[in-house]
Amino acid sequence: MNVSLDIDPWSATRLALQATFFLTLSLLVKQLFDLRNAARLKHLGRPKGAFRTPMTGLMALFGAVLLYQATWQLTGLYRPQFVAFMQSHDRREFNPAHWIQRGRLLDRRGEVLAESLEREGRVQRHYPDGPVFAPVVGYTHPRFGASGMEAVVSRQLDGGDPNSLKDLGELGRRILGGDKRPRGRDVVLTIDAELQRLAVERLGARRGAVVMLDPRDGAVRVLASVPAHDPNRIDAELFSGSDPATPLLNRATQGLYPPGSTFKIAVAALALERGFNGTLACPGDGFTTASHYRKIRDHEYYSARRTGHVWEGYGRLGLERALAVSSNVFFAQLGVLQGRDAFQELTERLGFNGQILLHQSTYGRFAMRTGHWPALAANDQYGLAQAAIGQGRLLVSPAYMALLTGALANQGVAVRPRLIATARPEVLARFMHPDVANRLAAMLRRVVTEGTARAIDIPELAIAGKTGTAENPQGDAHSWFVGFAPAERPALAVAVLVEHGGYGSATAAPIARDLLQRAHALGLMPSASKP
Amino acid sequence: MKPRQRPDMNTHPFVQAWSRRWPERRLLWLSVLGIGIGFGMMLGSGYAEGRAFALTDPLPWTLYAGTLVVLHLTLVSVRFQGDQILIGALAFLAGFGLLAQVRLGTFDVANPLDPGLYLVPAGIVLMLLVAIGLSHGRYARLTEGHWLWVWAAGSLVLVAVVLLFGQRYRGAVYGVGLVTPTELLKVTVVVFLAGFIDRHAKRLANWGKGFPLPPMRHLWPLLLFCMGLSALLLTQRDLGMVVILSVALLVMLFFGTGRTAYLVLGGVLAALAGALLLTVFSHGQRRLAAWLDPFQDPTGNSWQILQGLSGMYSGGLWGEGFGAGNPEYTPIAQSDFIYAVIGEELGFVGAVLLVLVFLVLFGRGLTIADQTRQGFGRLLCLGLTTELATQTLLNLGGVTKSIPLTGVTLPFVSHGGSSLMTSFVMLGLILAVSDGMPTRRRTPKPPRPPSD
Repeated sequence: MNVSLDIDPWSATRLALQATFFLTLSLLVKQLFDLRNAARLKHLGRPKGAFRTPMTGLMALFGAVLLYQATWQLTGLYRPQFVAFMQSHDRREFNPAHWIQRGRLLDRRGEVLAESLEREGRVQRHYPDGPVFAPVVGYTHPRFGASGMEAVVSRQLDGGDPNSLKDLGELGRRILGGDKRPRGRDVVLTIDAELQRLAVERLGARRGAVVMLDPRDGAVRVLASVPAHDPNRIDAELFSGSDPATPLLNRATQGLYPPGSTFKIAVAALALERGFNGTLACPGDGFTTASHYRKIRDHEYYSARRTGHVWEGYGRLGLERALAVSSNVFFAQLGVLQGRDAFQELTERLGFNGQILLHQSTYGRFAMRTGHWPALAANDQYGLAQAAIGQGRLLVSPAYMALLTGALANQGVAVRPRLIATARPEVLARFMHPDVANRLAAMLRRVVTEGTARAIDIPELAIAGKTGTAENPQGDAHSWFVGFAPAERPALAVAVLVEHGGYGSATAAPIARDLLQRAHALGLMPSASKP
Repeated sequence: MKPRQRPDMNTHPFVQAWSRRWPERRLLWLSVLGIGIGFGMMLGSGYAEGRAFALTDPLPWTLYAGTLVVLHLTLVSVRFQGDQILIGALAFLAGFGLLAQVRLGTFDVANPLDPGLYLVPAGIVLMLLVAIGLSHGRYARLTEGHWLWVWAAGSLVLVAVVLLFGQRYRGAVYGVGLVTPTELLKVTVVVFLAGFIDRHAKRLANWGKGFPLPPMRHLWPLLLFCMGLSALLLTQRDLGMVVILSVALLVMLFFGTGRTAYLVLGGVLAALAGALLLTVFSHGQRRLAAWLDPFQDPTGNSWQILQGLSGMYSGGLWGEGFGAGNPEYTPIAQSDFIYAVIGEELGFVGAVLLVLVFLVLFGRGLTIADQTRQGFGRLLCLGLTTELATQTLLNLGGVTKSIPLTGVTLPFVSHGGSSLMTSFVMLGLILAVSDGMPTRRRTPKPPRPPSD
């Protein structure tokens, strides 16, 4: 379809007439100015120039109005809300807003995640993978606005924010030529399309989230949430909230879940920092803070009871071994031993009860929730014991668990996660002391070589991590795995959550392994050095 | 049409005047030509869309051109000495307004009896009558003796009568048949203010020594009048008029007395009044909200301004071409939002050219004030120019979202009989002042030929 080519005689005449009109008008303005001497008011007094300043002010005021008018009339494209308004409410057929070729959103290797295509005389936004990348790119719709990265980088996508001479030249050419088909600029994301597709495929029909990032510079490679909405089909029903699968909820960044045993890494870090170096007795019968509270027991106690046996318990456990076997009895005691105040201080240092901003602009923000932790009553020892094993009232988001694991892998330093490839890496906070982080990293490697996650060990990848099986009031336990690889020089950190997926070792851990394996094949992480 | 350097003393006075007014002639020609091309564009677009040619199509333009011929010949024959540039700028603006109104179908072109068709010609004639009637310094008699107070009382009575007997429409009060008689205030109030400030200039300039206190003893009639008028106008929700008159008052006080303190005092009072108004009027708050964040309520409060801006964006730099846009999508485009239509159809370039013509008009008004030695005439000219400039700025600023909407018209271009006629009268007054006082005339009377 090309409108500009079929020029009928009237169009040409009209153009000529308009040019003549402008010329005549310009000539008139020039004459009005030039003839001021010929038309001097000689019969009045001599000019004193008393009103020179007000006239200058008046010209400045009108100039300012014209300049501001130009920001709408000539560069209105850079106002995404304005463009959205015109796209949904303006019926002028030749309004360029209807013909904007918005820039594409690309993955780190240039694969198209979102693009604008012209169909049936209208430019439409197309998302080739449907819901797969929806948690990252969001959607854009004239009526329902925009979300996700579509909203955050709206200006760049519409062609705004000229940041080089070339861009400015392009802008000038576009304005002068009365361009009716504006083209935006592409934005490259840090996401790896292949890994994200794999994550979504492996989650399958289950609900869950996967987040994978580079702990050294915060580049997010996978941000999957299943089920997600299809950004190709945005309608009012989607926003009515009637779908029980909550496809608009970004589980990765906004979903809050009990972390289960994966949170033991934070408690271990706390204990190590406070100089814990001993062992704790872990009776098979379990541990509680007061007799009227249910005892916190290890998983083995229940399996033994199911077969009619009585479990003797682990006896005395050190931290490394307790992590490997994921002993609830050990960590409940360890938590109580640190005390409420130290635990409170830990959650504050780790940024609980907050949001972490990934990207922000006038037109949208991309943020992730950290975790939820209501301040505990001073004497609530049992609450503390529960929180220490990632149960009770402690909740976290999957993206946050990836960040926490990443910080552990990165000498204790958390780097702000980012989705835009050109965004600068930025240190968010120090979560733990480097020594503590290094010692913990070694212990987490043991979890995979000989502990609960030994089923996923691949020597070449040297995965380190922690499984989690989080009990919840809604049904079966949530399946968790958090980890990083290679253990010596971590290049990727990952958090996998499968809602009601059962044991972490059975459901979440294999997904993490598959992703790390593929990432390794894609060159995103080096092989582990041979021991 | 060639300029003659030195008119021969022995030629007929008409010929002398004719040769003296050649710049005006050239400007009028250009206006007629430009507006003619505009009509061509507009009518052509209509035919291209399949409208049939009608004999009455060129009627508005013919009327316009004819009126300008009458205007010029009359001015020449009465040997009017008033400003020619002003007439040139005005002729173009009036023609442009006429063109825009025909374009928007404000009146029925096919019906030669439609009064809307004769609005601009009638306005030009009215301006001519005012200018000639008050020329030769006769304007000075407007505020002689007790006449000064007649203008003040007349203004107050006018607003009060409209308030009592007017009808409410879209939140404002109108006279019979949606005529807005309060537009006349722009003339009556400024005539009173100019007379009053001129009469008491010395005393009003006498601020307290040491602590600067305004000369209340002489200021109170003015204050009382302004407060009464503002109260009446605000009851009618005519905020635009209050702003226009207040700015004119401050500018006249400042230049009439040379006291900067009046500007400071005015600024403080304006800020206080603004804050007070916002708390009292929900209507004002809504407009302020629509201005600050138009996307808060895009399909409600901000619909009109956003549609206007969409049209302008659609027009871009060069515009869709006169007659080729869709101004019908902007509500009430023909009155307050005519500027948005100009932006849509003639683009940013057209808008800039229009603003330039307006600036020439204002600059010329200020020049006349600057050269006028008669105190009342100087202030009158200054006040009227200030009003026109403020009104234009309020309209343009509102439509482009630079400032909150005040709902005032664009002088000479917007639809609205009362506003249009008042603008013409204002220009007539400025022209009358520019004709100068008879004693100051330097051109000697040429001897009459004996045969006559």
